[in-house]
Amino acid sequence: MIKLYNYDLSVNCYKQRLMMGILGIDYESIPVDFFPGQEHKSEAFKEVNPLGHIPVIVDGDYTLRDAHAILVYLAAKYDPSGCWYPSDDPELIGELSQWMLFAEGTTNTASAARLHDNLGYAFDIDALRSGAHQLFRVLDEHLWFREREGKDWVCSADHPTIADLAIFPDVMLSEEGGISRLPYPAIRRWTERVRRIEGFTIMPGIQEAASLAI
Amino acid sequence: MSQNHTRDESKTTATNEVEDLSLRWFPIGRSDDAAHRHVHHAKLLGRELAVWRADDDYLNVWENRCLHRGVRLSIGHNDGTELKCIYHGWRYASRTAGCTYIPAHPADAPARTICNRTFPAGERYGLMWTTEQGEGSPPEIPALEAGSPFALRSLPFDAPAALIEEHLDQYQSGGEVTVTELGPHNLLLTSDQASIVFFIQPVDSGESVVHSVLTTAPNPQNELVVLHHHARALTALRDRIETVASRLPEPTPLEPALEQIEPTDLDGQTPPSRDEAELRVTVARKWETGEGIKAFELVPLTGQLPTVQPGAHIDVHLPNGLVRQYSLTNRAGEQEHYVIGVKLEPDSRGGSACLHESVREGDVLAISAPRHNFSLRRDALDTILIAGGIGITPLLSMAETLSQGGHPFTLHYFAQSSSHLAFPDRLEELGDACRTHLGLSPEQTGDQLKDILDSYTTSQHVYICGPGPMLDAARDLAEGHRWPESAVHFEYFKNTTEVDKSAEFTISLARSGVTTTVGAGQSILKVLRDQGIAMPSSCEQGACGTCVVGVIKGEPLHQDVYLKPGERASGERIVTCVSRSLSDELILDI
Repeated sequence: MIKLYNYDLSVNCYKQRLMMGILGIDYESIPVDFFPGQEHKSEAFKEVNPLGHIPVIVDGDYTLRDAHAILVYLAAKYDPSGCWYPSDDPELIGELSQWMLFAEGTTNTASAARLHDNLGYAFDIDALRSGAHQLFRVLDEHLWFREREGKDWVCSADHPTIADLAIFPDVMLSEEGGISRLPYPAIRRWTERVRRIEGFTIMPGIQEAASLAI
Repeated sequence: MSQNHTRDESKTTATNEVEDLSLRWFPIGRSDDAAHRHVHHAKLLGRELAVWRADDDYLNVWENRCLHRGVRLSIGHNDGTELKCIYHGWRYASRTAGCTYIPAHPADAPARTICNRTFPAGERYGLMWTTEQGEGSPPEIPALEAGSPFALRSLPFDAPAALIEEHLDQYQSGGEVTVTELGPHNLLLTSDQASIVFFIQPVDSGESVVHSVLTTAPNPQNELVVLHHHARALTALRDRIETVASRLPEPTPLEPALEQIEPTDLDGQTPPSRDEAELRVTVARKWETGEGIKAFELVPLTGQLPTVQPGAHIDVHLPNGLVRQYSLTNRAGEQEHYVIGVKLEPDSRGGSACLHESVREGDVLAISAPRHNFSLRRDALDTILIAGGIGITPLLSMAETLSQGGHPFTLHYFAQSSSHLAFPDRLEELGDACRTHLGLSPEQTGDQLKDILDSYTTSQHVYICGPGPMLDAARDLAEGHRWPESAVHFEYFKNTTEVDKSAEFTISLARSGVTTTVGAGQSILKVLRDQGIAMPSSCEQGACGTCVVGVIKGEPLHQDVYLKPGERASGERIVTCVSRSLSDELILDI
């Protein structure tokens, strides 16, 4: 069974829980006392990941770190439909990679602001918030034009991909870092669509969306 | 907000501006921002708004806070007819914003006074509009009325509305531009290429949204190109304006007044109203909905009717002076009118005959506000609804509410024949969840009821409404099959108990500090009213439960059909219109 080095309040660990929930993958959660214990910086944990980050997964004798890389691995290996990581479509996989890098940006701004506000990390909070807003403006406009084309997701496919899952948690918890989503109506609608994906998993601060119809 | 209408020049411009703007209509989003089953989050003049469209397309603009704990309703669930707060699940009805359900009190109807603040809503030119204190409808712009308006992408600005207004002439639309001011924060920009009307939504003192509408819609094939072109132009302008804004001192955020909800409004007690016929309605439609059954759709003469919850009934004051009670048969989420179904009773004492024969479409009737003494729980794992004849009226409403919420239920409808089924079109919509039992003898009815009630499982509830003998039989069966009393809910049409009015006794009113005598032939209800206590009542024959009060001491003589056996035995509540006292004194909690 896959082992996930996990912290419940971590957005990056949540990305893996989300993916494994959607793909119906059973996994074992190994709790890491990220706060206040700083266990991810311990010597013992650095044997698992010398960078001292979570999440890390161990699948048999295969170990992988970094949230977005793990998403790629899980989808490529465990999604027989090939939807979540459409590796046989060059244009789509290009777009997907572009938005995965965008997700690094939202993690390093919006989610970093959350670490500042919630856990007292010493970051330049104004820079983080303004950086997040710049990205959110781009994402809102992108999603708004996607809607005009009848598309629901970050990439141009007619189904969600790991790019949606990589960006969604950073966006969804942005208000915990003082970044309002009020100016981004298209983002708000997209987060609702993500929360309606079958197999969706919640986390503290992220609820399911209302169902469309019964 | 603006008690003082005289302009005080010494006041800051900002204050005056807010006072003026509160009467204006502003856009708060594009119409498609209120997507299906979504809640749009907006802000106008510092006030947060939850904007949502019900499945019937009604657009709701509400203060963005749940009355319970102040949590934003914009993160709540739009279920198509109600908005549910994410925190403790309080539900509010579309249109009225009245609370319809409190999960922590699943058996009780929320008080009518628990009602959210609403703002006027309108849609025009592809945009949604509201006004804080204004009236009428969104402004009509001649240039748009004459053209084929096409709403562009709305863009948020980190800049005050007035600053944006000053710089809009720099909008690069191709060629020379002319800007005409149409009203506050409303400009018409024309160039060789295009003619655009801008509406600037003052979000807060330093934030705005610019909504823009082309006077002439592009060719459908070019729509995307045109949208991209103007989005780029507006973004370029935003960059310039925000650079200017960033050099200005940060303005103080606006502080809109929140309406205070009186604590007394939240304690679950509807203030009793002496005015039993407080509403005036017009019969908008009268139709035959089954053999011997007429349905009436009642619309308010003015304003909005109070919130309907499933199982509610109203008093109808008839032209012949009689007052009769009828259950509301509104569909889930239907709040714009009331629907009642009336069966012509062969031995009518004048109520049903008057409605059937005399009352016509267009007539005005006086009615009471809805009374909620037969409330529906929405937390049951399974709900059984048993209707006998016209007893379908509250139960159909309940069935549709459960259906809308995705709760499992079965509606059993006993009637003489298929032509006697009321609201057949709506029954059909319920599909397999509705089972009809037609033309059964009393014995056959009993057997059928036995089948329906033969086993009880945890978190199952049954609601029964129908003729007295059927109801009695169903209750006996439920008791025999170990249904707990708390799971059996019923509403009688009338009380057939022979009421004994002979005894004389004393009542002490603990809260009012009054002690008085109820003489032979008098009712407690009448004596209370004689003491100047505003007591609500409805059927006044011990069936509906409107006039119930708490008993602190003494032994009531129950003569009603409203209270359940356990409630009777506890002696903690009394139906004041018919019940009396076995002890010399009753101390009432009133």
